[in-house]
Amino acid sequence: MQTSRIIRNALVTALVIAAFVVSYNVTEADFGRLLRNLPNGQELIVAFITPDVTTRDVETRTISIAFPIPCGSAPNESSIPTSGPRLVPSVDCADPRTKFTLEGFDLASDSEVVIRWRLPDERTMTAFRTETDADGYFAYEVEARPISITVDGVASRLEVDTLTPVGDFRPSGTVTEVLDAMFVTIFMALLSTTIATLIAAPLSFLAASNITRRGVIGTAVYYLMRFIFNVLRAYDPLSMALLFAFWLTFGPFPGAMALTVVTIASLGKLFSEAVENIDPGPVEALQATGASPLHTVRYGVLPQVIPDFVSYIVYHWDINVRISTIIGFVGGGGIGYLLNLYINDFKWHQAGTAIWAIVIVVWAMDFLSAEVRKRLT
Amino acid sequence: MLRIQNVSKTYPNGTQALKNVSFDIKEGEFMVVIGLSGSGKSTLLRCINRLIDPTEGKILWDDVDVTAAPPAELRQIRRKIGMVFQQFNLVKRSSVMMNVLSGRLGYVNPWTSLIGLWPADEKKRAIEALTRVGIADKAAERADALSGGQQQRVGIARALMQEPKIILADEPVASLDPVLSHSILQYLEQLNKEGITVICSLHFLDLVHRYATRVVALKDGVKVFEGSAQEIDRAKFKEIYGEEAQEVRAASM
Repeated sequence: MQTSRIIRNALVTALVIAAFVVSYNVTEADFGRLLRNLPNGQELIVAFITPDVTTRDVETRTISIAFPIPCGSAPNESSIPTSGPRLVPSVDCADPRTKFTLEGFDLASDSEVVIRWRLPDERTMTAFRTETDADGYFAYEVEARPISITVDGVASRLEVDTLTPVGDFRPSGTVTEVLDAMFVTIFMALLSTTIATLIAAPLSFLAASNITRRGVIGTAVYYLMRFIFNVLRAYDPLSMALLFAFWLTFGPFPGAMALTVVTIASLGKLFSEAVENIDPGPVEALQATGASPLHTVRYGVLPQVIPDFVSYIVYHWDINVRISTIIGFVGGGGIGYLLNLYINDFKWHQAGTAIWAIVIVVWAMDFLSAEVRKRLT
Repeated sequence: MLRIQNVSKTYPNGTQALKNVSFDIKEGEFMVVIGLSGSGKSTLLRCINRLIDPTEGKILWDDVDVTAAPPAELRQIRRKIGMVFQQFNLVKRSSVMMNVLSGRLGYVNPWTSLIGLWPADEKKRAIEALTRVGIADKAAERADALSGGQQQRVGIARALMQEPKIILADEPVASLDPVLSHSILQYLEQLNKEGITVICSLHFLDLVHRYATRVVALKDGVKVFEGSAQEIDRAKFKEIYGEEAQEVRAASM
């Protein structure tokens, strides 16, 4: 007896350890990498927590010099002024693949600097971004790229934009975009929650054993409804969204439809459990008055389950706002879709804005649904 | 005239709640059913309006076979039989008014009542019913805001809405403070005097003596006594409730 218990405990312990080892290996866990690779993630982390919310008007000033590659292929820049805004390369010309320093003097102070090549055929190639200091000075190491070589005696030019913010701060274009998309998401979630409620509420009574499970037909209906809800629930929102995206092409509508189906299954189950948990007394009392089954449900069951129903609906709206963010990634429209666009375009600050918006809205919805549920008890 | 003929009830789990019970109830009687918990009192009352279907036997009301009535006819029968419950069975979240009105569901237009519309004369009837049990001022309150005694009065008002010929009262005072027992039973007695037949299950023997015009006793689903309350002496009491039973009196008021 005693030994068998020890063996059993040892076996269970061994199994638990084995399971942990397997999961560790399967996920290729390497927690040290979290710290070692921190610099890789740093840019993104910083961008995500510093959203793009405000903007100012930008004054752009451009200045350029001719820069022959290789030397002698074209005339050097005739004369570089000694005062005023000017670009001064450390050499007047260079051979391909050699490096030189480009300095800027007396430019707009504290401004973003965009350095680019303007090729002889007028195409441009952005090379670097940097910033001027308080004196309007910058220095940057530039490579004489083979693509910038002189063509037919016309040299490429080094062109520098200084972007100076002027005027008052105002909400950035990103904020407007994010708010619009968030608006779509919230109302997409509301629409799907509403449609799902309208369908799930009546069906849930059919899936409640205390209402339906009577006689052969009732029992059959009960098990059929349970089966449908369970099958629908087995599909996760993401695959459902993919299905509807293929069916209805991309946009908020297929996303809302996917959410609706998922919500019907979930609310159907929650509602039917609420119906099963009612106090049967009033139902019995109403049957005794000669009320029809429909009236018994209307006056005996409905008043008992409405608070639960409302609380589940609000809770699901909250859930749907979160899910619709995820299904936006597969083309479901709304904030998720926008976030996906930003990420694909490496617009990290803009993505940060979207993420902040999601955090705020999810928090607000969570708060709202908690408040509503508190009032309903 | 209600005839209970050889009624038996066996639940699906095998429990035999009633065994071949027969007796008659005359119009205008205050019939009290006594017996221990689990003796079959509740089952018997519920067989009369078929909240529970008897397994065997018949229940005839004015020669109409209640046990054989199809659903529509059964609802017609039920609306003439009011019922009062031990746990009041009110919809706690609904208003007192709505609980009382729901007693009228067997009569009113099924479509308008489904969307919650009630004619003014039915609302007036509900206020009258509440006035009869002395709580008309509570009409707008939520049912669960009322005390137990008040809730049972709402239960009686709901039964009154049915304009019943019979009232089944299943332990109507068992969940109440004993001092409230008389106040509830006096309402039933008053209705009985106005011609409504009352069939009521009770626990306390002094209440039985005070209100019953006739008594039926059940023990383990079998009828062990039928007669007047005065016939129940100490020996009979022991027979019904078992040797260990002690008579408990509801608080005298």
